[in-house]
Amino acid sequence: MRRSVFTGVLLLALGFGIAELGAGTRNFTASAQQKAETAEVKIDNFSFGPAELTVSAGTTVTWINRDDIPHTVVSTDKVFKSKVLDTDEKFSFTFSKAGTYPYFCSIHPKMTGKIIVQ
Amino acid sequence: MHPFDLQAALLAKHAQHVVLIHFPIALFLAGVAFDFLAQWTKRQSLAAAAYYNFFVAALSTIPVVVTGILAWQWQLEGQRLKGILLQHLVLGSASSLLIWLAWIIHARARRDKNAVLPGYRLLIEVVATAVVALTGHLGGFLSGVNGVG
Repeated sequence: MRRSVFTGVLLLALGFGIAELGAGTRNFTASAQQKAETAEVKIDNFSFGPAELTVSAGTTVTWINRDDIPHTVVSTDKVFKSKVLDTDEKFSFTFSKAGTYPYFCSIHPKMTGKIIVQ
Repeated sequence: MHPFDLQAALLAKHAQHVVLIHFPIALFLAGVAFDFLAQWTKRQSLAAAAYYNFFVAALSTIPVVVTGILAWQWQLEGQRLKGILLQHLVLGSASSLLIWLAWIIHARARRDKNAVLPGYRLLIEVVATAVVALTGHLGGFLSGVNGVG
């Protein structure tokens, strides 16, 4: 009887242990994903794609110029500003605060985009 | 933007460069055509037409160069240029100098009544035409005439 109670408690503890370990792994994974959240905007054929992107706070957005022509990424509200990006060059910015961030290419002001941070 | 909104058009920063550049290009090319015709027909009036075209073309390079430099300083905050932008700047400066040179050669010949226009000017004008064409090609590429920009 005592042995079966002991075995039961041991199995229960083992079960809790495994469950906790699994939860811990999930928490760790979730936290890692939150920290490394990224998004990409492709610049091609004189346009930003996607032109409107919704991300969560803390996300790092990377713009990559896939066009044959130099472009820039400039925030309308002067929050961020890239150098001239030649073909295949990148620019990244981490959005820590919620809000709407319109931007444009200063060489081609008709090229516009928007980042919505939630 | 309203098409007749003058204030908005004037404040559109580097947009003027793209508009103004057409004047020296057209005037210079017309001047070259007159000069070649003058050489072929030996008519002084055509050489005079070339002179006046070169003169106004040279003058109109001033606002073009100024607005180009302002676009660089305002839109790109004077950052170090590379690639197509740098090529456009160098070739544009060379174009302006060659247009002025073509006018100076004509101006010197006109000052002396007995002087004859030197034949080498035509070679300079051909080279200048090629440099102007290349600068314009790069400028058009940059401004996005082939794209949706």
